[in-house]
Amino acid sequence: MIVSYNWLKEFVDFDLPPEELSHRLTMAGLEVDAMEYLGAGLDTVIVARLESVERHPDADRLTLCQVATGSDTLLVVCGATNHKVGDLVALAQVGSLLPGDFKIKKGKIRGQVSLGMLCSEKELGLAEEADGIMILPPGLPLGQPVFEALGLKDVRFELGLTPNRPDCLSIVGVAREVAAIVGRPLQVAHQAPIEDGAPSSESTSVSLEERGLCPRYAVRLIRGVIIGPSPEWLVRRLEAVGMRSVNNVVDVTNLMLMELGHPLHAFDFNRLRDQRIVVRRANDGASFTTLDGQQRVLCADDLVICDGLGPVALAGIMGGENSEVGPETTDILLESAYFNPATIRRTSKRLGMHTEASHRFERGADVDMVPIALDKAASLIVDVAGGTLAQGMIDCYPESLPERQLTLDVGRANKVLGLKLASDDILSLLRSIALEAQPAEDRNDGILYVKIPAFRPDLEREIDLIEEVARLHGYDQIPVTMPVSRMICHRPAPQQRLVRQLRDAMVAGGFSEVINYSFIAPQWDRLNLAQDDCRRQNVRILNPLTEDQSVMRTSLVPSMLESIARNRAYRSLDLRLFELRPVFQPQDGEELPRESLRLCAAICGRREPLGWAQGAEEVDFFDLKGQLEGLLSGFLLGAVHWDSSQSETFYHPGKSCILRHSSGLLGSIGEVHPQVLEHFEIDQPVYLLDLDLNALFGATVTGRNFQAISRFPDVCRDSALLVDDTVSAEQVFAVIDQVRGRFVEDYTLFDVYRGSGIADGKKSLAIRVRYRSSDKTLTEEEITIGHERIIKALKKQLGAEIR
Amino acid sequence: MKEQLTELLTKGRAALLAADSLEGLQEARVGLLGKKGSMTAVMKGMGRLSAEERPIIGSLANTVKVELEDLFEGRSKAIREQELQQRLSSERIDVTLPGRTAARGSKHPITLVTEEITEIFSSLGFGVEEGPEVEQDFYNFESLNMPKDHPARDMQDTFYVSDEVVLRTHTSPVQIRAMLKQAPPVRVIAPGTVYRRDSDLTHTPMFHQIEGFLVDRDITFGDLKGILTTFITQFFGKGIGVRFRPSFFPFTEPSAEVDIQCVICGGSGCRVCKKSGWLEILGSGMIDPEVFKSVNYDYQKYSGFAFGMGIERIAMLKYGVNDLRLFFENDVRFLRQF
Repeated sequence: MIVSYNWLKEFVDFDLPPEELSHRLTMAGLEVDAMEYLGAGLDTVIVARLESVERHPDADRLTLCQVATGSDTLLVVCGATNHKVGDLVALAQVGSLLPGDFKIKKGKIRGQVSLGMLCSEKELGLAEEADGIMILPPGLPLGQPVFEALGLKDVRFELGLTPNRPDCLSIVGVAREVAAIVGRPLQVAHQAPIEDGAPSSESTSVSLEERGLCPRYAVRLIRGVIIGPSPEWLVRRLEAVGMRSVNNVVDVTNLMLMELGHPLHAFDFNRLRDQRIVVRRANDGASFTTLDGQQRVLCADDLVICDGLGPVALAGIMGGENSEVGPETTDILLESAYFNPATIRRTSKRLGMHTEASHRFERGADVDMVPIALDKAASLIVDVAGGTLAQGMIDCYPESLPERQLTLDVGRANKVLGLKLASDDILSLLRSIALEAQPAEDRNDGILYVKIPAFRPDLEREIDLIEEVARLHGYDQIPVTMPVSRMICHRPAPQQRLVRQLRDAMVAGGFSEVINYSFIAPQWDRLNLAQDDCRRQNVRILNPLTEDQSVMRTSLVPSMLESIARNRAYRSLDLRLFELRPVFQPQDGEELPRESLRLCAAICGRREPLGWAQGAEEVDFFDLKGQLEGLLSGFLLGAVHWDSSQSETFYHPGKSCILRHSSGLLGSIGEVHPQVLEHFEIDQPVYLLDLDLNALFGATVTGRNFQAISRFPDVCRDSALLVDDTVSAEQVFAVIDQVRGRFVEDYTLFDVYRGSGIADGKKSLAIRVRYRSSDKTLTEEEITIGHERIIKALKKQLGAEIR
Repeated sequence: MKEQLTELLTKGRAALLAADSLEGLQEARVGLLGKKGSMTAVMKGMGRLSAEERPIIGSLANTVKVELEDLFEGRSKAIREQELQQRLSSERIDVTLPGRTAARGSKHPITLVTEEITEIFSSLGFGVEEGPEVEQDFYNFESLNMPKDHPARDMQDTFYVSDEVVLRTHTSPVQIRAMLKQAPPVRVIAPGTVYRRDSDLTHTPMFHQIEGFLVDRDITFGDLKGILTTFITQFFGKGIGVRFRPSFFPFTEPSAEVDIQCVICGGSGCRVCKKSGWLEILGSGMIDPEVFKSVNYDYQKYSGFAFGMGIERIAMLKYGVNDLRLFFENDVRFLRQF
């Protein structure tokens, strides 16, 4: 909503400077999004009179003009042809800066010195197009800035209104707020129009068939108008609030729209079949062409204004092409109505039509404004387009909308706001915005009765009035206090703590956290997912912005690979990324999907940043596995089985596994399948893990048990075992665990070797076993017996040889 | 013998002083005081001395021995010191060479800001609740006083999954879920991901919010101002200007938009604050009676306030990030700065 400073002043007498007004409106809840100073910086464009006009000696199309500025006479070269001696013109003096950063300099045009420029409306930003220079109305004082002389100096305020304030979608509505701010009365006059014509009831009728959808419908008939351009004042007025002139009749309806906030519609009376109006529901499937030329298919929920045969307007939204006012129109039927807000909203939403009229009707127009706006518009049309106004308004208002009266408990208001206002304070606040507020008979009970005018549909409950009290008193006047509230224990849920612990661990491991959109493209083939994989079942968005954002992801993997690919495209090649977010899996028979947190991490590139003392190796599976083992150790899960017999389709089958725990599946880890990498256009090995955090948290054991530490010395024994290449480390560990005696403190696999000196199909594993007792120093014999037992078992069960 | 000892002392002194390495010094000491050294040789003559002479010569021998030992210790220390000095002055590294490093990790700025805000409200006694991102229309709209056909729904362009299921457009549904679970007093914040069907320079279709609310007896609008002012000064620093101005949200009344003094220009007006000197960072208000009705709270008995803020916006202000889309492009050159 755009309002003009000058226009507001017509309705309320105030002298706040524009900046102050802007601040006060914002603090009253009418947020000023932007301000624009019309004519600002154009004070050097002044009124001047043409004293003489002569042909330029060296150019046929130019004239040499002597202009009087009141204090001086200047010579200006002009290229226009529409001017003559005696005309008042707009002279941009040397040094003026016109819109578009156009600076006026003293110059020579074909040998003649020109001391300024005579401006067109376009050059002054007053019109989009101009034919010749601007000829000002006679009588303006010479030398006065043109904008000032024409009364065009103005300030435009662009208000960002909230949907609860339809009353402020007009100059008068905003003026009412200004009046409350400055404590002066709102000045609105209602004048009955002069009715010279025959009674309108003789020529037309209104049949209101849908009282629920259209509680009030009124028309006036004006005959003999001449459609043409609007007078200057009307054009300027509309321009001041950013509207363009169409013709005199349409401009008047727009003026009322802006001034009073009430949408009106003008029909070409002679194009109405049977010359009557029927207000009814549309027929299902009926088609109708609105005046923007679009054909609309209607349904029975839509309210239409019809003539004797069919629709001529979509009620409260837009008129029809078939009854549009045009240059030949002579008789006007002017409509002013109040429509049910929900009906207008449903139709405008369904048809995707958002107009100035629908915007107001769906938020709630002022039913009492129906006759006022109609009268004022009719008078104005006769003023600017001629014609005679038929006698009488046809006003169908079969059942008055109920008057609303609310009670306000002063004590309650003070309690909610933290204030100590007296009844009288509140009364005067409410009265300042034209609410009729009265104290109850017995003044002491602190109850106020408030009659709500029709222009405030948002005031429905006591709390709405309390808000008005707060707003008018000023939010900044409400003291800042700290709440007194009973204590409650709000310890974070264990899961919240674990999530934070996980994030911290990932960051400590050198990983950067990414956040991808939850909606992705449903392209599961990119991950080689099986056709029956449940992750192909997705929550679909009915109205996605693009197909690439059309389903809620059931896996974090595709977005992770995209993040890797995008970073590599920017030549960031050494990556460690993680994402910790929910995935969305539809569930049979449930309205909402299952949302479960997952952790996805991926690495690629060098293990260590490039450096003079850093290794140059690339990462491999075990870098990521190590990170994962570190994470798991923070959760005290007990044994985790790295099961390579099964894996995900998006991994290299020989370099991946799933993670099993006694409580279930925890996730997977592996090198990404080369084919999948190709799908994402990544040309470097990527290692990835994907964990189900609900499973992880479910398997988490809280509480650590202290193990006593021994004060006796340890002894380590190293052995190199030759085993078949197919023997896994896990098998070796299982054998050791099975036979380890009580003196084995721990053991480590510290080397794996294949190659020179080792037969094909074999590998050498080096293990170190640390022996220690908690209550004595072990003897050589005890250690040897223990170690021999381990070696024997490895030989027997895995065919190991000692090297 | 006396002369022999005196001579031994003189020679010994010279030998010890002449040695210029630890080895040489040690050799000299052995030559003088060792088992086969000069002192031993001299002392062999002790047997031939008279009983009167013996203690005198013995004492003298001891003096010589102690003096030579002391001299040896002193020289030894001096030589060691000298050698150390020599070593230290010859050994040099270039300390300006970069150290060995591992890759540095980073939390996403959205996570960092969420954690910081959560920490502030936790210290004020607020608990943390979460709720689903794919949400029922009832929780996202209806229960928050936004029936279908309400113009307020236009304020939030919605992604629909079905007629009754949406991607939540704000974190406010968590308010409803939390209040349905527990009776007052409640103090809860709810950080989370939200979605609106809007994508341009200043909007991403997914973003993050933190919702918060407090319900108890006698909670006032002044208390709302108190808690939010405390939060703002904790987060942005003391002395920052704060203002509350009337606004509209269907689920609060009275509603307030909270502005802070522009952190970029300090309030004098710039491009970021659109020359107003103020930045909008929070929506808030007293919880609407209609909302209490949908969670069966007694409006006559309890009152409370709620607030919500966009985390991206706060992160942009905190870190000076000038392009919203950077948060979701996941470029490590951006991420590693946090």
